[in-house]
Amino acid sequence: MTVEIEPLLNRERPFWRRRASAQGALTLLVGGSMLAACGSGTTGATSAPSATPTPVCTGTTANPGYSNGLATVAGQATTLSGAGSTFVAPMMSVWTKAYATSNGVQVAYQAVGSGAGIAQLQAETVDFGDSDAFMKDSDIAKAKGGPVVQIPLVQAPVVVVYNLPGIASGLKFDGETLGKMFSGAITTWNDPAIKALNPTITLPSTPIAIAHRSDGSGTTAIFTDFLTQTSPAWVTALGGSTTSVGKTVAWPVGIGGKGNDGVSAIVSQTAGGLGYVELDYAIAQHQTYGDVKNKAGSFIEPCEQTAAAATAGITSYPPDLRVDIVNQSSNPQAYPITGLTWALVYQNQTKAATAAALVNFFSWVLTKGQDLTGSVNYTPLGATLQALCIAQLKKITVNGTPVSP
Amino acid sequence: MTQLALGTPGLRNRPALRRRRAKSALLVGLLIAAVVVAVGVLAWVLIYVAIQGAGALNLGFLTNTPPGNPSAPGGGFYNGIVGSLIIVGIAAAIAIPLGIGAAIYLVEYGRGRLSSTIRFFNDVLIGIPTIVTGAFIYAIWVTRFGFSGFAGSLALAIVMLPLVTRTTEEMLRLVPNELREGSLALGATRSQTVMRVCIPTALPGIITGAMLAIARAMGETAPLLLTTLGNDLFIEYNPAKRMSTLSLQIFDNAVTGFQEAQARAWAGALTLIAIVLIFTFAARFFGRRVRTSNA
Repeated sequence: MTVEIEPLLNRERPFWRRRASAQGALTLLVGGSMLAACGSGTTGATSAPSATPTPVCTGTTANPGYSNGLATVAGQATTLSGAGSTFVAPMMSVWTKAYATSNGVQVAYQAVGSGAGIAQLQAETVDFGDSDAFMKDSDIAKAKGGPVVQIPLVQAPVVVVYNLPGIASGLKFDGETLGKMFSGAITTWNDPAIKALNPTITLPSTPIAIAHRSDGSGTTAIFTDFLTQTSPAWVTALGGSTTSVGKTVAWPVGIGGKGNDGVSAIVSQTAGGLGYVELDYAIAQHQTYGDVKNKAGSFIEPCEQTAAAATAGITSYPPDLRVDIVNQSSNPQAYPITGLTWALVYQNQTKAATAAALVNFFSWVLTKGQDLTGSVNYTPLGATLQALCIAQLKKITVNGTPVSP
Repeated sequence: MTQLALGTPGLRNRPALRRRRAKSALLVGLLIAAVVVAVGVLAWVLIYVAIQGAGALNLGFLTNTPPGNPSAPGGGFYNGIVGSLIIVGIAAAIAIPLGIGAAIYLVEYGRGRLSSTIRFFNDVLIGIPTIVTGAFIYAIWVTRFGFSGFAGSLALAIVMLPLVTRTTEEMLRLVPNELREGSLALGATRSQTVMRVCIPTALPGIITGAMLAIARAMGETAPLLLTTLGNDLFIEYNPAKRMSTLSLQIFDNAVTGFQEAQARAWAGALTLIAIVLIFTFAARFFGRRVRTSNA
């Protein structure tokens, strides 16, 4: 049966998909339900993209075209002030520029880092913050303006970038190996553990130069979340699963850079460099980055499509949308280190004009804005989560009265 | 010749003379080398920035805002140029009158302990790192009223104030006491003497000092990071809102790591140098004009 099916799959799919389907077939063979699954696969290869997703990381994806935005609230302010995550900065820059052109409202956003974004929101010096790690109850308790509504805006992969002259993108990593590399247990690129994952590639004996974030970072939170879930060596090295994850951790090795920019600069300048940045930073700077093993056991290239797969199967979210999507999906095409970024807005606003401008802007970001994600290699929110985000916007009030009824 | 004519034994002194001449030549050589290094480094900086910045610098750079996608080419720093001029303009309007007033008090009226204390604190203020000034304004202003261009102006005014005070004070001290005495002897009051004699005499120096303080404020980045925060993409003329400045845009674009943004940062650096040079030349020009019209 496999003998018949595999050539069929291979003919219809590009080479990068073949390996995954062969693995899939093998897994199914072991599982014993091969006949039924493969039967549907062969007939559904062209007609049912939901059963066998289209090839990953190629071509363009369709814009979601969400049209469930809230009715525009009148009397809005013409400027907004925001600060936070560098992870979302290129996306936010595209959004704010397009929004100013189409709606005439100027949203000033400064990429100061997720930690600083939370701090500025807490101090009420900005109208909104943005963080790739949601605010915990202890963070909200320190906020001068009371309860905070947290709204996921977009999702994107955190990629493992490296600087090895002569070696292209696509080195394979798994969580445990990354954990050992980032905790200093593996120090050279030709370590047997890395070789075992990449048997066909000649790795140099260059020392691994780790680059990590020096500032409070949501990107760090996403990356260390993945390491904590997948690497016991990392958890042990960092002294337990509470200290091994967060916006800042006690890095055992490496040098710190400020912002996603800082980390990619260090990696670019250092032979043997290894760091973690949001995908657009790696692509726009022509950096090489690796494939990472996901829950299903496949090595997945980070891109718009594989980041979308990371939330494809999730149907239920907590009501406050404080959800961890890192390495949660068992979808074989899901890129595991995929994270969300949250807009942080005080639930009870004091100025009606600012509140109206906030609701209008984020409603636009969650609808029309989701169609702009591809230009900077971000991934739109899935329909389930997007609808919940729109509902979340309705919680915003001005002195107790909902802004958008 | 004179030595020989006076009958001094010149021949005996020859080796000593040679040593003196050699020593003199060596020291002059060292001084010339110092000048060459000092001017050379300055020229190197200017030429390097000019070469790096010329590529992205064109009319569009001076009239456009940056593109939405930071890794896209093109766009400009018009918003930063406007922001720099407005923020520094307000700072100058606060700092220059205050600084000149303080200097007049110190030189013309101040006596004893109070004025020496003020002078001491003014010197301390010059030495305060500007990031500390920014943090101070953040604490007393931004936490209440949010980030704004005006908050940046306040921080820059604090940076400029001691510079203006100091240069004005120096210039007023250079005014000869005979002029003051002459004026008073002719029956002018103290205030008439200050306004009609001392200030006009010192005016070229005062203007130069004020212009240098403005040039200094133009290039400041640290105090603005914590006060205006920046508004990289949009033109904002209202100083009550967040604004961008050239220095902030250079910083933000330089650190992104996107090549296209870095090209904009270089062009911005060249623009900033050009603006500072214009202010410096303007200071020279007005200084000379005032001096000749007074004469």
